[in-house]
Amino acid sequence: MTRILVIEDDAETAQEIAACLMASGFEPEHRADGPGGLDAALAEPFDAITLDRMLPGCDGLEVLKALRDAGLDVPVLMVSALSDVDDRVTGLRAGGDDYLVKPFAPTELVARLEVILRRRRHPATPEVVLKVADLELDLLKHEARRDGRRIDLLPMEFKLLEFMMRNAGQTLSRRMIFESVWEYYFDPGTNLIDVHVGRLRRKIDVGDVQPLFRTERGVGYTFRAL
Amino acid sequence: MRFRELLRTSTFRLSVLYGLVFTVGAIALLGLVYLQSAVYLTRRVDRILAAEAASLAAAPPAQLSRRIDEAISLGDARNNLIGLFAPGPAHIAGNLLRLPPTLQPDGPPIEIPPSPTFAASARLIARKLPDGDVLAVGRDVNQLREMRTIIASALLGSGLVIILVGIACGVALSLGPLRRLQALRAACEDIAAGDLTRRMPVSGRDDELDMFAGTVNHMMGEVERLLVEVKASTDTIAHDLRTPLTRARAQLHRLRQTPADAGEVARVIAELDTVLERFRAIMRISELETRERRAGFSRVGLAGVLSEIVELYEPLAEAGGVKLSRLGDGDAVVEADAKLLFEAVSNLVDNAIKFCGEGGEVSLRLAGDGAHPQIVVQDNGPGIPAVEKSAVLQRFYRGERDRATPGSGLGLSIASAILRLHRFELELRDANPGLAAVVTCRVSR
Repeated sequence: MTRILVIEDDAETAQEIAACLMASGFEPEHRADGPGGLDAALAEPFDAITLDRMLPGCDGLEVLKALRDAGLDVPVLMVSALSDVDDRVTGLRAGGDDYLVKPFAPTELVARLEVILRRRRHPATPEVVLKVADLELDLLKHEARRDGRRIDLLPMEFKLLEFMMRNAGQTLSRRMIFESVWEYYFDPGTNLIDVHVGRLRRKIDVGDVQPLFRTERGVGYTFRAL
Repeated sequence: MRFRELLRTSTFRLSVLYGLVFTVGAIALLGLVYLQSAVYLTRRVDRILAAEAASLAAAPPAQLSRRIDEAISLGDARNNLIGLFAPGPAHIAGNLLRLPPTLQPDGPPIEIPPSPTFAASARLIARKLPDGDVLAVGRDVNQLREMRTIIASALLGSGLVIILVGIACGVALSLGPLRRLQALRAACEDIAAGDLTRRMPVSGRDDELDMFAGTVNHMMGEVERLLVEVKASTDTIAHDLRTPLTRARAQLHRLRQTPADAGEVARVIAELDTVLERFRAIMRISELETRERRAGFSRVGLAGVLSEIVELYEPLAEAGGVKLSRLGDGDAVVEADAKLLFEAVSNLVDNAIKFCGEGGEVSLRLAGDGAHPQIVVQDNGPGIPAVEKSAVLQRFYRGERDRATPGSGLGLSIASAILRLHRFELELRDANPGLAAVVTCRVSR
């Protein structure tokens, strides 16, 4: 069972996160303040931590620094109401693995947690060819082939496909896609990412094949795992 | 007005200092004049004395006494002082009856005070004659002395007058500025007490105090404007959030009375999502406004930004039946935060695509000149009513047309905040038909 420590001062939000984590097969543990969260993280092993940036009487960054100083490299997802790029950079520099801006859908939090957990368990290997089902992406030749048939991709489509294949089996929110592929951190609106994924999808899932893209209602997309 | 306060004013101190400097200067000047003239006159006397002594000494010893008497009577008797002394010294001839003991033959000149036989001070030299007698020749130097006295008293008197005048001027000059400063202080106190419409008095003399008062007044104008703006945006936010919150409340109220219907619940959630999204945008704007200017700025090529935006939005435009194109070529480099500039222009493009509707056209191009490159986002949609044009760029303003569309509706406000951070200008122009959003950049030197 994957154990997640949720450090969040708002009881209602914490409850919702916990419910969502449980529904996704995680085992959540909740602490409402910085010192309590830090003690719990140091006392028991957790697979990941979600850490609110603004806790009563304490900056989440301090908790994160204390964790890292104690030698714990457990993946941490920072959650914050501060959305500026500078705040994101400070959060990541302090040792956070990802940065989620409030307000967020709990499903988005779960999606991000899964991605950072997977990244920890299977660090990106310097692969030359990515393979998912009968789809192959040659990173050196910049070529995509499905069932041997060559697919023409624009540079951005190639980047998008690479990201989705590397995170095959994970639910990816629109924002996660926008942040990772385009490296912008503002709100792109719902449709923008949809049309990009839609275009790519029409090139990949052509004709009578096993569809690789799956739309996750209200969240984003999953690229089918093997 | 207290005297001590007056003494502390900088005008007073400066006037006194100026008086002192002037006094020192005057003393130096007069001293120089005195020294030059005294030295000149003394030398002249010395030359005359030497010449006279030489001419007398050249006379045959037998005629000397007569020549001395002639010399005395030739000049003014009060002017010339001559004496011939035998070793001893014993007076032989002339109106100098006694050889002063300090007078050395062939030595330096000396000065002697007035005596019963010679009513003025005199300067004397002595020559030893070949036969052993001593010839003393002198002249009245009272004039010289008087001149010295006059100059010395002039020095003293003028110094005193300058100092007194300096102090008086200091007081007089300080009174005015001090009075004005007190008026400025009174205005400041009024402002601090909450009267934000109060302004510093300006004399119209364009001096440094006016300059200062002008700066403060400008600042107060900004403060007042900002406060009005904050008030307006608070009102806008309140109005904007009240609508979806009221709707959500009504829906929840209905849900309590009727059995839960999944569609109804989804609508409430959607309503609240709108509120949250709007809050997120509001926070983003206030973050942008408090951000430290120029942190993270670098040189950004505008052509690259435009191409990337076209690439990002082209699929969205196509899906909405809008033709998005990049017109013209050329490039310009500006100092900017590349990510923020991208976000701002993205918002403009997003808006243009959203509002020009199916069959519309949106174009991006660079215009302007080298010093002020412009990014123009033009659509052929319905445009914005003239009355709303300036309002849409204000903080947190949502145009009427935004109310029907999803999203925070604050895209333009965010773009506007980003551009303000850059000190770039955003202007909405009529493109007949449609709207042109023009971003005028500055190129830093």
